[in-house]
Parts: sequence; structure tokens; C-alpha cells
Amino acid sequence: MANIKIALAGNPNCGKTTLFNDLTGSDQYVGNWPGVTVEKKDGRLKGAHDVVIQDLPGIYSLSPYSLEEVVARNYLVNEKPDAILNIVDGSNLERNLYLTTQLLELGLPMVVAVNMMDVVKRNGDKIDATRLSKSLGCPVVEISALKGEGTREAAELALAEAKKGVKGERPHVFTGSVEHALAHIEESLHGKVENATSRWAAIKVFERDKKAIETLGVPADIISHVEDHITDCEKEMDDDAESIITTQRYNYIQGIVGTVLTRSSRRASTSLSDKIDKFVTHRILALPIFILSLCVMWWLAVAEKGPGTILTDWANDGFLGDGWHLPFTTHACKVDGKYKDMEFEDAQGEFAKQDASKSKWEETYKESYNAKNGEGSYDKALEAFNEKAKAEFKPEKEGDEFEASEFEVLDEALAKTVVAKDVFVEDEETGEPVAKECDCEKCSKKREAGEECDGCGCGCGEPDKWDVDYAAYQKAKEWEEPDPSQFGVWVPGIGALLGDGLDKLGVGETVKSLVVDGAWGGVATVLGFVPVITIVFLFLAFLEDCGYMARVAFIMDRIFRKFGLSGKSFIPMIVGKGCGVPAVMAARTIESERDRRMTIILSTFIPCGAKTVIIAMFAAIFFREMWYVAPLMDVIGIAIIVLGGIALKKSRFFAGEAAPFVMELPAYHMPTFGGIFHHTWNRVKGYMLKAGVIIFPACVFLWFIMHFDWHFNLLADEAIEQSMLHDMGSWIAWFFAPLGFGSWQGAAASVSAEIAKEQATATLGLVAANMDGASTAAQISNLFASFGDFPKLAAMSFMLFNLFVPPCMVAIATTFREMGAAKWGWFAIAFQLFVGYALALSVYQIGVLIAGGGFGVWTAVAILVDLWVLWTIFRPARKANGELKLENGK
Amino acid sequence: MPIALMSIGSRHRVKAVKGNDVARKRLATMGFVEGAEVTVIAHSAGNYILGVCDSRVAVDEALAMRILV
Repeated sequence: MANIKIALAGNPNCGKTTLFNDLTGSDQYVGNWPGVTVEKKDGRLKGAHDVVIQDLPGIYSLSPYSLEEVVARNYLVNEKPDAILNIVDGSNLERNLYLTTQLLELGLPMVVAVNMMDVVKRNGDKIDATRLSKSLGCPVVEISALKGEGTREAAELALAEAKKGVKGERPHVFTGSVEHALAHIEESLHGKVENATSRWAAIKVFERDKKAIETLGVPADIISHVEDHITDCEKEMDDDAESIITTQRYNYIQGIVGTVLTRSSRRASTSLSDKIDKFVTHRILALPIFILSLCVMWWLAVAEKGPGTILTDWANDGFLGDGWHLPFTTHACKVDGKYKDMEFEDAQGEFAKQDASKSKWEETYKESYNAKNGEGSYDKALEAFNEKAKAEFKPEKEGDEFEASEFEVLDEALAKTVVAKDVFVEDEETGEPVAKECDCEKCSKKREAGEECDGCGCGCGEPDKWDVDYAAYQKAKEWEEPDPSQFGVWVPGIGALLGDGLDKLGVGETVKSLVVDGAWGGVATVLGFVPVITIVFLFLAFLEDCGYMARVAFIMDRIFRKFGLSGKSFIPMIVGKGCGVPAVMAARTIESERDRRMTIILSTFIPCGAKTVIIAMFAAIFFREMWYVAPLMDVIGIAIIVLGGIALKKSRFFAGEAAPFVMELPAYHMPTFGGIFHHTWNRVKGYMLKAGVIIFPACVFLWFIMHFDWHFNLLADEAIEQSMLHDMGSWIAWFFAPLGFGSWQGAAASVSAEIAKEQATATLGLVAANMDGASTAAQISNLFASFGDFPKLAAMSFMLFNLFVPPCMVAIATTFREMGAAKWGWFAIAFQLFVGYALALSVYQIGVLIAGGGFGVWTAVAILVDLWVLWTIFRPARKANGELKLENGK
Repeated sequence: MPIALMSIGSRHRVKAVKGNDVARKRLATMGFVEGAEVTVIAHSAGNYILGVCDSRVAVDEALAMRILV
């Protein structure tokens, strides 16, 4: 037998995908809210490769309302799998069996798997599977998909049914005149439709379901022939045909549930789930709780001295950079001499002092020399000294080259009189002298307690300054920078290993630069953020799995309703926190076409995982002391969605009331460690894979056009202004000038971010490599300082622009596909580009104005744009368009 | 009386669901049919969480006004 297809069908959130993953060994995304699966997915049964298992989006009935339900219905009705494995949530038997009775009418071999048996048992309830099987006329198995119990049996049973190809006795769902009418319709359909589906067809004809009748190809004369029967029935029951069917179905199911389900008496009247709901959906507290949870997430990920920052610093400088010490092993055990018995940190502090003494004294000496012998005399004398030394230079071994001295004491007598006053070590952030720390007992205790120590009389806490004379200088000169690898257990970083490895291979400087600065530099910048996105994804996975995210949709509904979207539109936006591509696809759960389009346009404004990297980088470099910047980006994203939604709703394309909001809320449950780890790992893996597949080639390409000119000549580092990248960036830099980063670097980073958003950080690292600064962070900081007088505003503007313009190209392609029409795709892009640009423009221009940067043409433009935006938000609403009515399941 | 006007924690039997549109059919498939038992779990500024069958369903106020008990 060729491939046997077994379709998994059932209510949303009843565990189809969990079962699918268990049976096929795949890794499809599972979430604790309805509508996670929006597309049919195929996989092969483990150990039986001719059996295809198909995961379908969840449906409540065979009358679909939204796009993802149409996918499932069409498949079941038109393409006909060999067997249906109907998953039923045992903890909600009644509602789930509603679909089961409909599926049975399709006349396909079917097995019912009662899932979540562990929950049922925990509640103390009992389900009589044998009786249920007898009532439904098909085999019933008990499973727990999460624990993998009984799943294999269920699949094998379905396989056996598929091979038998026959269905059992169908249950008698309908009674009285309804059954009579149905039997009559079935009879008249005889020979017109396939025998197996005649029951299903009869019910559809009875319900007057035009779409289904059309698909089944029922002749018009039969319809008019049976119409009298239907009307008679409606009169008798005093209800419309469709409601009659629904009601009788429920009556039948209630009958079955009454006989097969024994409820435990010890069941509490309000469950814990309901109690939590009262709290988190509270009228006033709901929104603060949601924003608080965002703040906690960002605190963990990017707060100064938070776990995310510590891990990121380690990843960037240590693991991927030069190297790192194993924790608590920084004691100098290998070195003799000056740093003997010192901790690495103390050694660094000591060296900083000695280095400050040395350079300050040298500076003072130069000044004294010039004062004595005339302006510029020192430089001349040093040049003469170097020339003389070069002439006398004899290489000791082959390959030795002459190195010019940068400083020489040329006048011994003068040197003895030179004293450098008030030497101090600069604090990295403030540039002020670092405070003195004395060793007296009182001060040490205070420091340990984390208090500031002052006023104990020993000078503690005062600026640490000292004088340096010639003798002290000569001593200070002998200190060499402490080598971290000599302290404790030093693990070399990948960057350092790569450099060393290439040196050993003896490759040229160009190749080394390509590999270390180009390819590795960019990829390392992106990989350095793995700790941040891991924390964000871990937190998201927790909120999703426990069931809170579905409540957020409920909370947001009342806000979204104000601008004519329902809370359902928030589900794609939650998905969008992880990635924009599934977010755009998740919009399929929205019933109305118009609302769906609007949701697609808006959902990518939520900063996704890749954009998180941009936020993390800028928060770390420019906004370290402003903890609220990172969560603010999420809030801005939501604000754009709300305000953009209001503005769109007032345009003629989207006018109309919000669709009614009906959504099932899953029960809260404590997520399993494995489940959360699995979700997080899948997303992080995707992110790291992207670093290899997209960021790596992009960086190699960027390095290439940055180091070559138009004639493909290799350029020296200083000659970067002749490079292709410089020229390309310069051509479009004007576009970014009003935003405060109109340089070729800013342009190159922003444009390359369309490849993948995190590319912005990689490109910035690459183009800033020529700037001064010890680390990439310092270089990028200096890069923005070179843009103008307001580097922080430029940085904020750059971040806002890259977060809120159209998403990366993969998400754009998905948008075009899901919109169904190119014109809507372009509309989305134009809208997103406008929002991103207008936001960055306003923040930069108005920020500059407030900071005292003066009023310019662009300030005026920014204010005009803002006024126009306000008008689009606050103008009176349009009346709904007749043609844009709610579209029902097509 | 519409279920929207009932107090939290109270339990009712559905008499009818008003209207005849997609939303009504949707409610029916979720279990809101004549005779079904519905509990008011929570309401928050116009939105309601209702317990029906063994599940929790969130509905907006307009819909909650249409479910008569």
C-alpha cells in the first residue's frame, strides 16, 4: 500500500501538535493558546515511513469562520485522509465531542483519542472509554500526548482502521422530525454524492450551507425538492434549521457525556485558574501587571549588572573575544615579580596607576622641554634622535625592523627637575579621578557593606591624586600590562584563537582582516547577544506555556476595540515578540479579512527577537543608566499599533466595527522545565543558524565592498573613504541626514538591516572598526559622536528607525504572501516606512530643539508631520463601508 | 436577562442566544446553546470570561448581552 495519510483533527489547543511531535519526532511549535498551528503540517510516523501524519489547525466545528479553519475543513472534506485521528480533550469532553459527531458524518475511518487523561485523573474524574466507543461507533483510546502515554497505540489503531477502510455504525445524533427530514434528503441525494459522505451532505443541505452545497455539487432541483421538508421541520421546532442541528447535536452529546463521564465530587467550585484570572484580568490592575512583566523581562535581559548584561559582557569580551577567567580563579599563581600574589583586578588597578604616572610625567616633560627650548623643539629633537638611531640600527636577526621611539628622555638634567603634579586614574564613564580606597578596617567594612566611605579621616572616598618625579617615573616605566592568561585559569576566546591560528598558518594581513574583522567580527557581534535573546525567549516561553499570553489578548481587547480591532489581533503581536514571520501568519486566526490585513500591517511593530539585539546593543552603549529604555521600546511598539490602528481605521480602507470577540482561554498550568527549554532552544537555535547562513555571507560581502574601491584595488585601513561601501552609503546618506545619522556608516547599517535586523549591529561593528576605542562598544560610541553634537539623540533616532521601519526581507515576503495582493503588500511597506521615519525624525529634531540645537527646516518638517499624524488620529471617524462587511468562511 | 448583567460566580442555564449571524454560530460551536450551563467567571471593563462546558471563553460585552439566561 502506498502512503497512508492519517489526519490529526480536534479542537484548538487540545494537544494535536504535541501528539504530532511525539508520533513523528518533529519539532513543531506548541503553545498554550488556541490557534498556534495555522497551516497543515506533514510528518512521517516514527518507524513506519509509509505512514504520513498530518497536523491540522484546530477547529471547533466543520463550519469554518477563519482562514486557518478553512485549511483544516477543506482538507478533511475535499482531500480525504485515509483515517482521522480525532483528538479530544478529556477535561472538556462536551465541547470537544461536538466536532467528533461532525467528523463521524464525513464517513471516513476514524479513531478517537481522549487526550489529557493525566489531567482528568488528577481531577478525580473517570471516563468510560468502552462505553464511549460503543456510543460513537468508533474505537476510542486514552492517551496523554504530553507524557507520550498511549500515543503509539492510538496511531496504530488509526492505521488499522485505515487499512480496513470501513467505518462502523454511525451514532443516531438526531431525533424525531429532524432525523426524518435528514433521511429523506439522504435518500434523494443517493447516487448524486459519494455514498460515504451522504450523511454529511444531507446535513449541509438541511442547514442550507451554500458553500458546502456548491462544493458537493448538489443539483438545484433536489434542493428545491427538499426545501419543504426543511421548512416543515423549522415550523415544528420553532427555530432555524442550523440552530436545530446545533441544539440536537448538543443534546445528544450531553446524553453521552452523562453516561461515560463520572465527575469527582471533591471538585472545587472555583478553580485556581479562575482565581488567577480574577487577579490578572482585573479592571485596573490588568495593564500594570502586563507592563510589569515586560519590565521584569527586560531587566533580566539588559539591565546594568543584571544577569543578561553580565552574560553578554562575558560572551562578547570573553568567550567570543580575547578570553576569560574561570570564576574565582584570578589569583596570580604563575607570575613572579611585580604582580606576584595579586588578584587580576588589583593588578589591573595597579597598572592603571603606574600607566597614569608614566604618561602624565612624559607629558609634563615634553611641556618643560618645549618651554625651555622653544615651541615644537621636542618633536624635532625626537625626530633627530630617531634618525640617528635608525642609521645606527643593526638587525640582530633576520626580519628585525627598526622601530621609531615614541618617547625619549633627551635631557637628563631637565628630567631630574620635572615633577608631574596631581596625577590620577580617570574613571571610565565620568572622566573624573577615581576615589581613594584605604585599607583601614573601618573603611573596608563599609565598602563590603556596599556603603560609601567618607569622613573617617584617612582620606577615603576623596579623589586619588599623587605627584610623580623622575625617579618615580623610571619605576613606573617598568610595569607592564598584566597578562590575563598568567592569572588563574584563563580560557582563550574564539576571537583570540582564530587570530593566533591564522598567524600560525602564516596567512597575509588581508586574509586575516577578512576573517577576523569581516566575517568573524560581524558574526561575533550577533552571537554576542545570544544571552540576551535567550533570556527574552525563556521568559516568553514561560508566559506562553503557562497560559498568560491568552489573557493578554483578553486584556488588550478592550483597548484594541476602541480602534476597531479585537483582542484576537494581539495574538499575532505576541508571536511577533519572537519573530515577525510567524506573527504575520498567525493573523490567519482573525475572521474578518479587513481586520486581518490591518493586523498584518501592525503586528511587526512589536520588536522581535532580532530587534531585541539592536535594543540590547544601544541600551548597553548609550543608555546604561536609563533602565526604562528597553521596555519603553515594547511600549512604543504597542502605542504605534494602537495609534496606527486608530489612524488606519479612520481611512477608507479599514473603516468599520470590530468583529465580535470570542476566544477560548486555556487553563493555567505550570510549564514543564523541558517544554520551556525546548521552546527557547528552538528559537535560539534558529537565531544562531541565521548568524551562519545570513549574517556571515552578508558580513563577508560588506567587508569586501568596504576594503575595495571600484577598480577592485585593496585599500589600506586609512583609505576607507575610497571604498565602494563608503560611496554607496554616501549616495543615500542624505535620506538619513534629518534623522541625525546621515553618514555613510549610518546609511550602510540601516540598509543592511533589511537583510536581517540584527545585521544592523554587525554592520555598525564593522564600519566603526576604524574609530578610536578599545572595544567595539567604544568605537560605536565614537562613531555616533562623529555624527553631530547630540550622539545620544542620534543613537535613539537610529534605534527607533531600525525598530519601526518595515521588518526584515523574510517578513516582508511573508507579508506580501499573506496579504494575497501586491497592492496591500506595498501599502504595508509604505505605512511602516512612514511610521519609522516620522518617529525617528520627530524624536531627533524635536530632541535637538529642546537640547538647544536651534530651529531648522527639518524641525519645521518634523512638527508639520506630527501635526498631520495627530490629525489622522483625532479626525472624526468615517462611517463603515457597505462592501467591507464581515466576510464569512470562504 | 442577559448574562452580562449577572453577578460573578453565578451559574445559569442559557435560554436563548439572540441574533442570527456568524457570531451566534461561533458561540454555538463553543457551547453556548439553549440549555447549556454558563458560569460568570470574571469581568473586566466590558469584557467577560464565561465558563461553559468545561472551558473558559472570553467574550466582549456586546456578545455577553446577547446570551439570555
